[in-house]
Amino acid sequence: MQSSATETPARESPLLEGLELRRRSEPCVLTIFGASGDLTRRKIFPALYALAFRDLLPEQFAVLGVARREMSNEDFVAALEEAVREFGRDEFRPEVWELLARRTRYLAMDFADEEGEDRAAVCLGELDEEFGTRGNRVYYLAVPPEAMPKLVEELGERRTTTGWTRLIIEKPFGYDLQSARELNQLLARFFTEDEVFRIDHYLGKETVQNLLALRFANGIFEPVWNRQFIDHVQITVAESIGIESRAGFYEKAGAIRDVFQNHLLQLVALTGMEPPIDFTADAVRNEKLKVLKALATPAPHEVVRGQYGPGFIEGVPVPGYREEEGVARDSETETFVAAKLRVDNWRWAGTPFYVWTGKRLPRRETTIAIQFQRVPHALFEDASELRPNLLIVHIQPNEGVSLAIGAKVPGEGMRVRTVHMDFLYGGAFRTGLPEAYERLILDAMLGDARMFTRSDEIEEQWALVDAIIAAWRRDKPSFPNYPAGTWGPKAAQELVEWHR
Amino acid sequence: MAPVAHVEEWTDDCATIGEIEAALVDLRYRHAHGGEPDLRTSVLTHLAWVPPEWQQAATETLAGLGERHPSRTLLLFPQPDADDELAARVLLECYDLPGLERHLCSEVVELRLRGMRSRAPASIAVPLLLPDLPVFLRWRGRPEFGSPVFEQLVEVVDRLVVDSAEWPDAPAAYRELAVYFDRTAVSDIAWRRTLPWRRALALAWPELPDRLTGPPAETALVAGWLRSRAGVEVVIERADALPVGEDRPPSDLLSDELDVFVRDPIYEAAVAASFADLP
Repeated sequence: MQSSATETPARESPLLEGLELRRRSEPCVLTIFGASGDLTRRKIFPALYALAFRDLLPEQFAVLGVARREMSNEDFVAALEEAVREFGRDEFRPEVWELLARRTRYLAMDFADEEGEDRAAVCLGELDEEFGTRGNRVYYLAVPPEAMPKLVEELGERRTTTGWTRLIIEKPFGYDLQSARELNQLLARFFTEDEVFRIDHYLGKETVQNLLALRFANGIFEPVWNRQFIDHVQITVAESIGIESRAGFYEKAGAIRDVFQNHLLQLVALTGMEPPIDFTADAVRNEKLKVLKALATPAPHEVVRGQYGPGFIEGVPVPGYREEEGVARDSETETFVAAKLRVDNWRWAGTPFYVWTGKRLPRRETTIAIQFQRVPHALFEDASELRPNLLIVHIQPNEGVSLAIGAKVPGEGMRVRTVHMDFLYGGAFRTGLPEAYERLILDAMLGDARMFTRSDEIEEQWALVDAIIAAWRRDKPSFPNYPAGTWGPKAAQELVEWHR
Repeated sequence: MAPVAHVEEWTDDCATIGEIEAALVDLRYRHAHGGEPDLRTSVLTHLAWVPPEWQQAATETLAGLGERHPSRTLLLFPQPDADDELAARVLLECYDLPGLERHLCSEVVELRLRGMRSRAPASIAVPLLLPDLPVFLRWRGRPEFGSPVFEQLVEVVDRLVVDSAEWPDAPAAYRELAVYFDRTAVSDIAWRRTLPWRRALALAWPELPDRLTGPPAETALVAGWLRSRAGVEVVIERADALPVGEDRPPSDLLSDELDVFVRDPIYEAAVAASFADLP
């Protein structure tokens, strides 16, 4: 926004090559539906501030916040300033904030209200006039699932004819396969697939993208990235927090819809995919889709669900799930899922993918652990201490990669121990890692869909989840079955025998 | 930038390569956490040839660079008139890593090449290069192109980094520099300094000025760039300051160059065009 030059006339310039010009979106208005929510406060606005801080927003840009709550423009901006100060990753600079603040408006309305939508259209027209945003629209739909269809319909019917339109759809995308399919069909009535950006913020994480770099920018891994050399894969998305204030959502969703259906299955797809022919959105998503299609429905004994009871986190007593505010005393909602997944294709047949997610586990960690086959013959003494090679991709925290290798213990004899070689992402690249939302909002404004999920991926993910849930309906779970602060139910430990 | 959390140091006025290597290992283990030494994550070896008149500037530029580019830095200070000796000062500069007890460490080795040692710097630097990582040579001041010292160092590095604004005879000296383009990749901090100016000109295309005003090296490079990229001829006028640019510290400019690993054909063409009509 600080640049005084526009990029339009420079497109044909022979001087442009090699100038490292920043990717900058065309002029547009970003409209956030659900603007009074926590996501806007904690993630979206801090991300916009970070983009403004780095001069990555277009000069002609505006933000319209829309929510039901009555609030003045000034109150909305003041609340966001506080949020940026609290959650932003950069120092607070008044001049940067001012650039964003004076382009921000708030509109209180009901999403399902036609009159409200008319008011929004008028407001957007005014922003076009004031800031030169040329009718280009990015709609960020951070609304409850039940509000989504009506909102999509209203937006579709009123879509701008003068500029482009893009929709960012926050998760959850549907509740099951049927509702996801209906939402996809509704979207397709009004928008083309390249106008729809289904967000899974895990895909915006630098370290998730680094998984692609690790696999496809290094010659040493891909030749051994298959069933012949890999014994199994374990993907863990562990949280130490409980449900906080999300009981209403979580009671209906559970761990399988909250994390397994999206983040976990996307990580499986990225880990298992074939090399795409190029790095375009469709090429990457085509390969992920093949993995999702190859996922076999696990047998009932290959899925473990759990719910935490009272326990301790970092020495502090915490209540069980059923004691959390807003949760039914006899709730059967799972807060933990572990599954043994099979990718039935040429590369992975016989190599299981153990996936594991839960709340109130001992620590917050997201990792992809690739365990290689043991050496075929124990050559050295005391080989019991020698574990198979393990490549761990640390998604969060302590982003990086570590490789466990066998090394000789100094001294007489030939004793071998396992040691870790660590690559810390922040150690080699000493710049702050951008937040996932920064990258994803900018990508959507630029029309780059590589790090967003496509309709067919979403539907494959839901198909698997529906099959698992259908099997669960046959049995009444015995909950709670793991104390808070432990690694989940015993059955999960047995499922993933090697884990800890 | 985070401040240096701690510095470990070893010095010897009459050192051998073996002693320096041992000191590098020893310093890392001196500050272990629960048996685990601090991390050394290196992305390159940064070699700097620093004649006495550039010592102060080189030290200032180096400050904080190790944090941005975890590396081994070898500072070569030639002292040809002193008695034959290799004096070494080895520093381990450690920085905090958020959320971890362990630190990230960069190694700085200051080598005073005294007497005849200053005539064979490559034989001292090569054993200390980190294996299989790119080697950047920052040559302070105007290189003596063709001299044995320059030739032997260029031979062992992947990239030569100069600042032609430090040369008294730019752009005439570009003719000598261009000879090296096929031998090693070359970065010029003066060229980096012109980036905002070139961006402004590229965005103004096709409305270009017919004269450029600025310091001799930078202006000659931009004029060469316009000639080579767009066939545009401009008149050059001298001035002390660049017409467009940010006031970036030397360490930032060098830092940018350390992120570049390949030849820059646009720069090379600009250099070639800058002296094309000189006698």
